[in-house]
Amino acid sequence: MSAVMSIRDLVVRFRTPRGVLEAVRGVTLDIPEGASVGIVGESGSGKTVLSRAAMGLLSGSNVDRSGSVTFDGAELVGLPRDHVRQHFGTGIAMIFQDPMTALNPVRRVGVQVAEGLRIRLGMSRKDAAARTSELLAMVGIPDPAAAMRKFPYQLSGGMRQRVMIAIAIACKPKLLFADEPTTALDVTVQAQILELLAGLRANLGMAMVLVTHDLGVVANNTDFVAVMYAGEIVEQAPTTELFANMKMPYTEALLKSIPTVEARPAGRLPVIEGRLPDPTDRPAGCGFAPRCSYAQARCREDHPPLVDAGNGHLYRCWFPLAAPARRS
Amino acid sequence: MRRLLGGMDVFTRACAGWMSLMVLLAVVGPFLPLPDPREADFEASAVGLFSPGHVLGTDSNGYDLLSNVVNGARTSLMIAFVSVVVGGALGAAIGIVSAYRRGRIDRVVNLLFNIVLSIPNLVLGLALVAILATSSDPSVVISPSRRVVVIMIALTCVVLPVLGRIARGATLTWINREFVVAARSMGMRDRHIILRHIVPNVLPAIYSVGFLAVGVVIVAEGALSLLGVGVVDGVSWGAMISRVAGEFTFVPHSMYVPVTVLALTVIASNQLGDYLRSRLDLREGRL
Amino acid sequence: MLRLTVVSALRRLLQAGLVVIGATFLLSLLLRLLPVGLEDLYVVGENEASRKAFAHELRLDRDPFTYYVLWLWDFVRGDLGWYVQGGGLSEPVSGRLSRALPVSLQLVFYAQAVSLVVAVPLGIFTALRAGRRSDRALSYGLFTASSIPNFVFGLLMASFFGVTLAWFPPLGYVAPTENLGEHIRSMVLPVAALSFPLIATYTRLLRTDVIATLREDYVTMAVSKGLSTRRILFSHVLRPSSVTLFTSFALNMGALIGGTIVIEQVFTIPGIGQEIGIAIFSRQFFALQSYVALIAVGFIVFNMLADIVVGFVDPRTRERRSA
Repeated sequence: MSAVMSIRDLVVRFRTPRGVLEAVRGVTLDIPEGASVGIVGESGSGKTVLSRAAMGLLSGSNVDRSGSVTFDGAELVGLPRDHVRQHFGTGIAMIFQDPMTALNPVRRVGVQVAEGLRIRLGMSRKDAAARTSELLAMVGIPDPAAAMRKFPYQLSGGMRQRVMIAIAIACKPKLLFADEPTTALDVTVQAQILELLAGLRANLGMAMVLVTHDLGVVANNTDFVAVMYAGEIVEQAPTTELFANMKMPYTEALLKSIPTVEARPAGRLPVIEGRLPDPTDRPAGCGFAPRCSYAQARCREDHPPLVDAGNGHLYRCWFPLAAPARRS
Repeated sequence: MRRLLGGMDVFTRACAGWMSLMVLLAVVGPFLPLPDPREADFEASAVGLFSPGHVLGTDSNGYDLLSNVVNGARTSLMIAFVSVVVGGALGAAIGIVSAYRRGRIDRVVNLLFNIVLSIPNLVLGLALVAILATSSDPSVVISPSRRVVVIMIALTCVVLPVLGRIARGATLTWINREFVVAARSMGMRDRHIILRHIVPNVLPAIYSVGFLAVGVVIVAEGALSLLGVGVVDGVSWGAMISRVAGEFTFVPHSMYVPVTVLALTVIASNQLGDYLRSRLDLREGRL
Repeated sequence: MLRLTVVSALRRLLQAGLVVIGATFLLSLLLRLLPVGLEDLYVVGENEASRKAFAHELRLDRDPFTYYVLWLWDFVRGDLGWYVQGGGLSEPVSGRLSRALPVSLQLVFYAQAVSLVVAVPLGIFTALRAGRRSDRALSYGLFTASSIPNFVFGLLMASFFGVTLAWFPPLGYVAPTENLGEHIRSMVLPVAALSFPLIATYTRLLRTDVIATLREDYVTMAVSKGLSTRRILFSHVLRPSSVTLFTSFALNMGALIGGTIVIEQVFTIPGIGQEIGIAIFSRQFFALQSYVALIAVGFIVFNMLADIVVGFVDPRTRERRSA
């Protein structure tokens, strides 16, 4: 299975008044064709920056990006903006966390969906309108003709997210980045949207990168998982392998902090104590060491390398958990 | 106070410095060893900068420009100060009470503010001055000091609804805060709630807009003078500008001097108002 | 949706009408504030009967309310009152107004057009370059320029470009029908004086809003659709960023009518400003009342238009208002 996107040693630095902030520190990741890859981590772990940097959406004079990102065999890093743009929409697309802010508030829904069709695919106004209506029906919007004439603020959150998905898949991309696509939605709507994405992925044969803080979402919706912490991938594996054979204490902690229906009502939800290290001043050893209940002296001094455990399972820990992972 | 000064950058400091200098000149002006601003030096009319005895030179009448700038600061700043303080105090009182009372009174007050604000401020000031400064006998010229009073009254009327509306708006946002509701539910008197809970929170907004209003009033004083209804024969920046407006073809620097002083003062008061506002936004953000 | 828009527009109209009536009533009351009886200003001599007759003709014997209603009726029908001289009516205000108004409107429209044409590209350009070291100097520069009163620019330019360099006439007005080239030359300095603070204000507003809009997710979304930078700017960024600019533009329409008064005086341009000046000097208070009322009405109408236009530019505000 060949990779539709390959990320090699990607580093993203922001120059801020407080110093240089290294948000992504040498990430290497392949996204196989048609696969669903989850990127998990708590907020501030660099997962959103990683996905935007992979696509080349970070702009500004204070951003440095180095390493390599190839899409469909073509290198994207260092490519002029206008050339990168040729891949957007038709090759790579993105959906965002908050459909309220990601849809232009002053333009009608239909115009926003049709825009990509007209400009990227060169469709006529009439064809684009017809296709827009189809797309809106495809993402489960009840009355597409009426929805096309509405402004985003006149739709519910779930409907807005469906519109955004329609915009993203309009030009049949090979790869879809979904950045926390369900975080801003109600739980019941979340499930519907994830189901919709899975269905579309199967129909269109597109690969998807699902960026989320929720391991539960990842477990049911992805083929591969990469766990990020402090700008690095600390564990990556096929989804079933990861949940069967967890190596990183951090991954375990993330899993434990998900509320489940079975959890004892009286019991306290475990939280990960402490916080992410200051991104402008990283510790020498493992970034998670100060918060890790298994941490030893070595963890604080030496930065752990990425270890291959076979089966495509990589982790970054001096003292990995014994297999199989103990689930509480 | 130190906290306010601490956050200032160079530009704001310069503005604060300039404003302080102008206020100082306005206060000590008459005690400085300067020629009489209304006394023409016929030996040295229309002389340039740094002439002996006239640091900023003189205009074509032989009036000393430095002395006019210094003593003009007194009149111009006094007009600005009085109209902003009186207009601001009245406007704030009306705005706060009407917003607090709500209902019909508030609707009427709001409409009145809108009505007055619907007349461009210079036009309103002009109409008021034109009417109030009319003497019953056309042959009697109205004295500069009476003109100053008339201008103050007119500009107070201009400032009042501006600050009144700000105060009203600010009060409306504070009135539903928990601590006001709590104070009400504990049965405190309205007067107490207004003075203790609302006024202290509304005042910062008034201060910052007040500085902007100072700029507006100084501009208006200059503009009224140019239109011939300012402190025409008196000593003020506007009067200086109006005297040279027709004749700067001969003595350009006698126009540059008052115009520069006026512009710098307006810039300074606007910047100070803007700075105060940004500081207050920050404080709001930290709450 | 449409009905809500119509209802809210009607409500705006009603409100504006109320403000117009309030403002014009206030102005007609102002005449009563005169320290002397109005008729005494115009009637010379001791003849009580002729004084009374004149006062009656000017309706000064009516109570302020009736006076106002009659005045309003005349005003609505286009009778703007008369210039008064020596105990009689001399000249209708509308005659002088029809000569002065076009001149002032020319000034206002030229100034607004020049300001927008310069400020829009400047605002976008500086917004795209935001975050550089020179930014702070730029924003202080714009702030300073927007604070300087237009008559200061007027005086400085008249002196420098009009007199010292003599590139343009420092004073006077030439009608476009008379000599178009000279008309343009005569308008350069006054329009520049009016435009300068406006350009700074508009640039500042647009710059701030464009910077804010560029940070929005929907702009990133537009980039991820593969649209060109130019297309994103014009169809995604400019419209949501122009609400403040539009509002300020319309508000300045009214403020400019005030601003032209001074500029007309500085450059001796025969517009409304000069007519107002003449009216004040010759104590033509009826004419003054009509001029000021007209300016207030214009100001109110433009503010209302601003509200309606903003409603079209940003549909969100429509809902907020009808809610």
